[in-house]
Amino acid sequence: MKWFLWLAAATVAAQTPDCRLVPGWTQQGPARTYVADNLFEYINGNAEGYLIYRFVEMHGVTCRSGSDTIVFDVSEMADPEFAYGIFSATRDPKLPIEKIGMAAQIHPRKGVLVKDKYYIELAVNQEKDLSAVLRAFLVAMDRRIPGRTTLPEALGWFPAEKLVADSVRLVPESVLGLRLLRRGYIAQYDYGKAFVVPEDSPEAAAQVMVKLRARIGETTPAKLADEAFLASDRYLGRLCFFRQGRYLGGYAGLPQGQDAVAPASALAARIP
Amino acid sequence: MPGGSSRREFLGGGLTLPALAVAPLGAGGVRYRTLGRTGLKVSTVGFGCMITSDASVIQRAADMGINHFDTARIYRGGNNERMVGAALKGCRQSVYIASKTQARTRQRALEDLDASLRELGTDYLDVWHLHDRTSAAELTDELLDAQQTAKKQGKIRFAGVSTHSKAEVIRAAVASGRIDVVLTAYNFVMDQGLEPVLEAAHKAGLGVVAMKVMAGGYRNTPYYPTPPGAKARLQREGALLAALKWSIRDPWVHTSIPSMVDVEQLEENFRAMSSPFTEADGQLLAAHLELIRPLYCRMCGSCTGTCPQGLPVADVLRYLTYADGYGQFALGREKFLALPEEARQVRCRECASCAVRCPNGVRVAERLTRAQEWFA
Repeated sequence: MKWFLWLAAATVAAQTPDCRLVPGWTQQGPARTYVADNLFEYINGNAEGYLIYRFVEMHGVTCRSGSDTIVFDVSEMADPEFAYGIFSATRDPKLPIEKIGMAAQIHPRKGVLVKDKYYIELAVNQEKDLSAVLRAFLVAMDRRIPGRTTLPEALGWFPAEKLVADSVRLVPESVLGLRLLRRGYIAQYDYGKAFVVPEDSPEAAAQVMVKLRARIGETTPAKLADEAFLASDRYLGRLCFFRQGRYLGGYAGLPQGQDAVAPASALAARIP
Repeated sequence: MPGGSSRREFLGGGLTLPALAVAPLGAGGVRYRTLGRTGLKVSTVGFGCMITSDASVIQRAADMGINHFDTARIYRGGNNERMVGAALKGCRQSVYIASKTQARTRQRALEDLDASLRELGTDYLDVWHLHDRTSAAELTDELLDAQQTAKKQGKIRFAGVSTHSKAEVIRAAVASGRIDVVLTAYNFVMDQGLEPVLEAAHKAGLGVVAMKVMAGGYRNTPYYPTPPGAKARLQREGALLAALKWSIRDPWVHTSIPSMVDVEQLEENFRAMSSPFTEADGQLLAAHLELIRPLYCRMCGSCTGTCPQGLPVADVLRYLTYADGYGQFALGREKFLALPEEARQVRCRECASCAVRCPNGVRVAERLTRAQEWFA
């Protein structure tokens, strides 16, 4: 029991932001703690953007060195997939993703890191390039927080050909704007977008396929995976949806003349 | 409520509006109102894009006749503006786009505006808000001037300010003479004192946009703390639609911006424009309010300074809600222990009677005593 409590305390300490991680920086003012029900007190105007990724809790401090200050916040999400989810939704597509923790991005005045179920944000208050300091904090947090450093497995399922680099992201609710597709990954291609949505079982996935056919209307059966259909939708364009075991997947927004079955087959073949 | 009417009557108030106040129903079931002196004819249900992931939902909304779309520079690190711009690029002339900046300086605000225009792929914003202002002092001359500069440059058509129901900010916006639109949290569980403030803004010619109209009911994302049981009640069939209809029933609310992530939400919210707020809607919402009334602090601030012992009443009530509403005892206690020593030492049981009167029916003395017993 004592061992368990020690481990729990150590885990809490590891994910708590600490200004002393980088020499010369000290904490200014009290630490901050927010949960889902009061996050709006801290980031009113954008709290929903966190909550939709199953935000659990945030610990934050402000760090100071001379006249420079950095806001240092660590958000705990429900699991590593959601932590990666908020990172993938908010990352800057013009900047590369660095391999620190699961993934990181470092700007002159902002740094973000995702490690296990934690999403770490650093923001410089002054108009100043502190990217080296931000990097040092993020590397230190990566060393400090135990847990997952590998990206969600689903990122590797999307075929690489004509995939827009680093475009795969977690959609926490209603993939393609359809409530039937509860939550999953979506990837941007030069010619459209692909998605993968896990269901609890093959039977549950099959039921969703039935409802999707009813929702979309006129569909044509296609020969791939366990079952599939082709259709055309005014807003989703030409599409090919399939079921592979307990996974639903497919492509949407395909241009006229683009083969829909081939890329969908390639995606289905990569799903375990 | 001015005049002393009950909350139930307040909820039913929309039923007695004069016919003139009801905006005409346009083709396809869309109801439009004029956004104050901007003259923009906006659909009473607009579209809050913050958590929308797929452009197709926005495109569908535009085709249905919804024409007011709201985003902000900070949403999803700027990625939200890019998605909204892509979704609306084919119909830019027939829709209105509002965005916001959180900047506190003129230079940073104008830089934000240029970034917004670039990401949205447009030459102009219809409304550009100063985002999330919590006091009148935050409407600085510097920022108001930045908005006027942007207007002269043709980068924005109208200047706005967003606030989470701070009457002080709305009054300051009216007084400034330079703000055209206010965007405020507004829903049926909030402080009734906001109503006359919005009506005054409307009469002064400002456009009024309502946000947080579902009272946090949809996906466990409260604007105000709400006990879990109350959330479940709000999620009952028809309750969210009733909440949306309530927020747009008054003529001084010109449009609303409920967040929408999928077609199903869009279709349900769309119905709020074609079906009036009914007695049944009022009963549904009143039942919800009765459930939370004794417990629920609406943060109206009317108790501020009324405790002779100097207790910050609303703060302590909120901390108690963290503990007994959400099971976050540690957080509630942490906040309580951060109060000044003299506030922590107050014991309500030692007062013969409580001087604090909650206009919304919260059992203040009982709740404060509970907080002191738990936390101190």
